[in-house]
Amino acid sequence: MRSLWTPGAALIVLALWPARVSAQGADPAAAFTGDVHASAGLTCTACHAAQAPGSYTAPPRPAIAPLCATCHSDAAYMQRFDPQVRVDQFLQYQTSAHGRRMTAGETRVATCTDCHGAHGVTRVRDARSPVAPLNVTTTCARCHGDPARMEPLGRDAAPPADWAASVHAAALLERGDTSAPTCAACHGSHGATPPGITSVANVCAQCHLREAELFRASPKKDIFDAIGQAECLVCHNNHRIEPPADHWVGVQEGAVCAPCHDASGDSARTIGAMREALDRLAGGVAAADASLARAERAGMLVDEGRLALRAAREQQVQARVLVHTFAAEPFGAAAADGAAAARRALDAGEAASRELQVRRTGLGVTTLLIVAFLITLWVKIRRLPELPS
Amino acid sequence: MSGRIRGWLDERLALGDVIEALRHKTVPHHRYSIWYYFGGMTLFLFGIQVGTGALLLLYYRPSAAEAYESVQFIVTRVPFGWLVRSIHAWSANLMVASAVAHLFSVLFLHAYRRPRELTWLSGVLLLLLTLAFGFTGYLLPWNEVSFFATRVGTDIAAAVPLIGRGIVRFLRGGDDVTGATLTRLFGFHVAVLPAVASGLVALHLLLVQRHGMSVPPSVARRAAEDRGAIRAMPFIPHFLLRDLFAWTIVLAALAALSTFYPWELGTKADPFAPAPAGIRPEWYFLWAFETLKHVPPAIAGINGELIAVAVMAAGALAALLLPFLAGHTAQTRRVVVWAGGAALAFMAIMTGLALAAVAP
Repeated sequence: MRSLWTPGAALIVLALWPARVSAQGADPAAAFTGDVHASAGLTCTACHAAQAPGSYTAPPRPAIAPLCATCHSDAAYMQRFDPQVRVDQFLQYQTSAHGRRMTAGETRVATCTDCHGAHGVTRVRDARSPVAPLNVTTTCARCHGDPARMEPLGRDAAPPADWAASVHAAALLERGDTSAPTCAACHGSHGATPPGITSVANVCAQCHLREAELFRASPKKDIFDAIGQAECLVCHNNHRIEPPADHWVGVQEGAVCAPCHDASGDSARTIGAMREALDRLAGGVAAADASLARAERAGMLVDEGRLALRAAREQQVQARVLVHTFAAEPFGAAAADGAAAARRALDAGEAASRELQVRRTGLGVTTLLIVAFLITLWVKIRRLPELPS
Repeated sequence: MSGRIRGWLDERLALGDVIEALRHKTVPHHRYSIWYYFGGMTLFLFGIQVGTGALLLLYYRPSAAEAYESVQFIVTRVPFGWLVRSIHAWSANLMVASAVAHLFSVLFLHAYRRPRELTWLSGVLLLLLTLAFGFTGYLLPWNEVSFFATRVGTDIAAAVPLIGRGIVRFLRGGDDVTGATLTRLFGFHVAVLPAVASGLVALHLLLVQRHGMSVPPSVARRAAEDRGAIRAMPFIPHFLLRDLFAWTIVLAALAALSTFYPWELGTKADPFAPAPAGIRPEWYFLWAFETLKHVPPAIAGINGELIAVAVMAAGALAALLLPFLAGHTAQTRRVVVWAGGAALAFMAIMTGLALAAVAP
């Protein structure tokens, strides 16, 4: 359901957003009334200086960023509106792929107004902003998801659609987690540029710190560096980052280890043992959950079992993270701890089911005694002397 | 041996007179006699409440930090704790149902008439006390649903002009539902209400014994027309054995309900969490809860909730004073039956609407 919904939602937003942007641009004067610059007291002439009132034209595209920078790179001026405002956007833009191409004369690349809008600019933290967390991927996709725009520049237009099918898109669009990474989180915003092979792991490590540390301490780090592989991307891909699954670990077809490891040797045994432990742990967690759910449906309290199951799940997460050590230990210890916790949870569920059975048996016996008492009473009542009429 | 014990007791308590009176006590026997059993059934359930409540008290801790955990301990660790707690909860609900059935049967059979005004008065007060038991006991497990339902329930009193906020503060022990509210409601539940209820139960039983069971006017009229006496059954053993039969069925029902539908504990209350969806009071307050939902914010410029609360309070007062308000003619008795029927239908419809609204 998730995998269908997320790209669908992303594509719907993608389809609707240009209409909103073009509507914004349809009447610049009307759009400017809600502009953050208007609320700061600026008027048309702030950008359209030296133009006759009523006959404003857009500045040439290469001039837009320098024009914005006249204010946004002036710390003394910007502090009047926001003491903590950043003023390095133009510097970053000049280092970005967009800025470098623009300087080189390629005017089709993005400049400030392409992402922020020209009139009706809102603060980034405003949910209506095209670069707000929920909108920024759609804004990028207007160009980077359009093959007609990307092909002449020698770029692939697949990344936005790939991202829409990723676990990151699901976190943002399904769970509303605005801290989930979007284009800008990995590529940068004003200094947007594709991270290189050697730096991509640093990008992932901003959030996945533990995995990155384990990987860097593992023997794989030197091997990947030597063969020029981009660390995380080798197994997890870059834009279409799918939820990791236990079956990725293995040497069979489809597993992420398979391209480098075959079924022979020590590494295959280690991989096989890890996979087996992961499967055993997942099976234990599922069985315990089902057992506890069965007991709960019958009205039993199994809080201790739930606590053990939570511990098992935490160890499962820990074990999955420790896969990045590419070694039998400490992965094995975490998996074993998780399996033991899952066993305790399963025992709690089964004990609750047995207790339920005891209760029902007790009720059955009690009911029999009560029914016997009722029959005795009834017989006694029937044998009472007749009431006088 | 038993004769010597009886003689010893009789010498000190003069039980012989009481036993002799009970031997000669009779209960009218007619087509509506079955309704007489609801009074005894309510008393039986009250006894169960006292017994199971006393057992729960051995482990329950009335503080926000420990209440939930202590109930959890009762239902998971204490031998048969789950059974005692479930029986206490189920019995409370059956007791409300039985008391309501008893009240309406007395109303429809016109048993409130002279000289039983005080019996009716004490009975209505006992029903209100039963509801108060339910309200004060609801919060004691300190779970999410009860916490927010108590917040909503106590807030209703704020609609009363001038003293509303004061009442709310009195009920809550502060501005909001906190641990102080729990301690306060616990005090009411285990000390104040039982003390008052015990006195009223004693008075109610004394009056019932003093006046005997009321014979419905229609039965009395028919007997008079037939020039015959109304049949009667001896209290001992005929009525008492039938009472025992009904109580045993209730006991079996309680055991089955507690085993197959143990009372849920839910999740622990978090005063800082937003109110979850589906917050509602116990079923016997649902009709009032639903009524308040349908009342417009203002009626003729007056707070709609205030008007609704005032109408409900007037209804309760009218019920309390029914023997003094209702006349003795057949026509006024018909008005009482219609008014009682309308009130019952209204409460049933509102309860149905409330249940339909929360049904999955």
